[in-house]
Amino acid sequence: MNDPAAWSLAEAARALRQRKVAPRELVEACFARIERWQPRINAFVSQEKNAAGDANGAIAGVPLAHKDMFYRAGRVSNCGSKIRRGWVATETSAALERLDRAGALQIGTLNMSEFAYGPTGHNEHWGDCRNPWHPDHITGGSSSGSGAAVAARLAFGALGSDTGGSVRLPAAACGVTGLKTTWGRVSRHGAMPLSHSLDTIGPLARSAEDCALLLAAIAGHDPRDPLSAREPVPDYSKNLVVKEFRVALSTAWIERHTQPQVAAAVLGAASLLRSTGVKLIEAPAPDFDALSAHCLVVMQAEASAQHAKWMRERPADYSSAVRARLEAGFAIPAAAYLESLRLRAAWLERFCSTTLAGADLYLLPAINVPVPTREQTGPRGGGEMPKLLGEVTRLTRWVNYLGVPALVVPCGFDSHGLPVAIQLVGRPFAEATLLAAGHAYQRETDWHQRVPAER
Amino acid sequence: MSAAKQWSSEAIEAALAVQGVELAAGRAARLAQGLNALSVADPLRDALELESDPTGYALALERCKAK
Repeated sequence: MNDPAAWSLAEAARALRQRKVAPRELVEACFARIERWQPRINAFVSQEKNAAGDANGAIAGVPLAHKDMFYRAGRVSNCGSKIRRGWVATETSAALERLDRAGALQIGTLNMSEFAYGPTGHNEHWGDCRNPWHPDHITGGSSSGSGAAVAARLAFGALGSDTGGSVRLPAAACGVTGLKTTWGRVSRHGAMPLSHSLDTIGPLARSAEDCALLLAAIAGHDPRDPLSAREPVPDYSKNLVVKEFRVALSTAWIERHTQPQVAAAVLGAASLLRSTGVKLIEAPAPDFDALSAHCLVVMQAEASAQHAKWMRERPADYSSAVRARLEAGFAIPAAAYLESLRLRAAWLERFCSTTLAGADLYLLPAINVPVPTREQTGPRGGGEMPKLLGEVTRLTRWVNYLGVPALVVPCGFDSHGLPVAIQLVGRPFAEATLLAAGHAYQRETDWHQRVPAER
Repeated sequence: MSAAKQWSSEAIEAALAVQGVELAAGRAARLAQGLNALSVADPLRDALELESDPTGYALALERCKAK
């Protein structure tokens, strides 16, 4: 490949270590593409052409860009909103600090759904982020710019946050690899909060191998985040070549409930895994709808409490969609919210002892329908819009309620040329197993290497 | 056990007004519909012990880790 921007993050890091390329050349390659792509997809909010970083570290010199909600002292974090437009952070987020320590360069901040509270990538304050595979279609959200920028090869990787699917939806819709981490695996210190019981931070990149490098840099205990886990951090890159694993799957549920094109691609991916020696086990599907309902109760109650001051003082400064979601949270009784949280342990144990009984991972679609258009899911979406949005998020929210990790990996394209993705869900802190499974799949396929055409 | 009542537009408006939150015009009916849809029957609810509280989740995360 002549264009270094087309390399994977792992390839770029290797080339930098071997001094086959200089950081400046990678930055320039990214900006050459940003110049061509930004008018079409609106992925960047700000650009930093003079990014500099530590010369040492596992990913020293690799250009990254991040969702505009990871604070950096002295820099603006708009959080996709009108309310926080121009707000200057006074401290740097733990995730950015750790990437800095690993030598990564930050070449910009990325578009996102307003306050990370929307699953599509629409944004009336900053403009919609658009899908590089087809700009009429959604990117998924809320880490919309992260998915779009990585897909269009404008940055080698990006941070996103995932409270109900916000890393996995844009990864799936844009055809990149995205990891929702276990709750507590990555410090949330200095990242904009939405719902503290559900918020997680994770990478979007071009492959599972790339995500392993990014996760290794950002994972680990941080005393500044009281919910940060003390679980040791394994060597994710070293563990990529694994052993055998067993994958659970609910074929009957997928055949019955998933749109046929998506079902065919996902079941095809399962067959391919089986042909490589992975043992597939049929398992009962989790009660996605009950778990999603609990997730929504918790998310809405916590998000509304977080935004209570602004909702009382300046509700008109929210978009109508986000204001409506926040209004709903104020009507959730405290007892219902706490009951959803009390039930969380029982549901996690049930998932691990039934769906994951005898298996290491659970495989299902990331998005249950083909990637919809911006019009179908936007303010003019009409009567079918709520149902369609429900299908978009149906298979992601339940994972946040359980707090377990999940990896999204591209597995094909639909008839409109939009990506389709599988989702692998694991036990708490099983990120290494997920990344190994994703890596095994990507060694046999090239979906993750496909790049959207420049038109 | 008495059946749970459904949310009405008036109840939503009152609940938000008490908290000082002004509802956007025409929103109450849609909000009531959405909130009523969240009342999904949960098969585990009746088995909840008096002693269970939200902090039990941290212990469940530990118990459910891959060994």
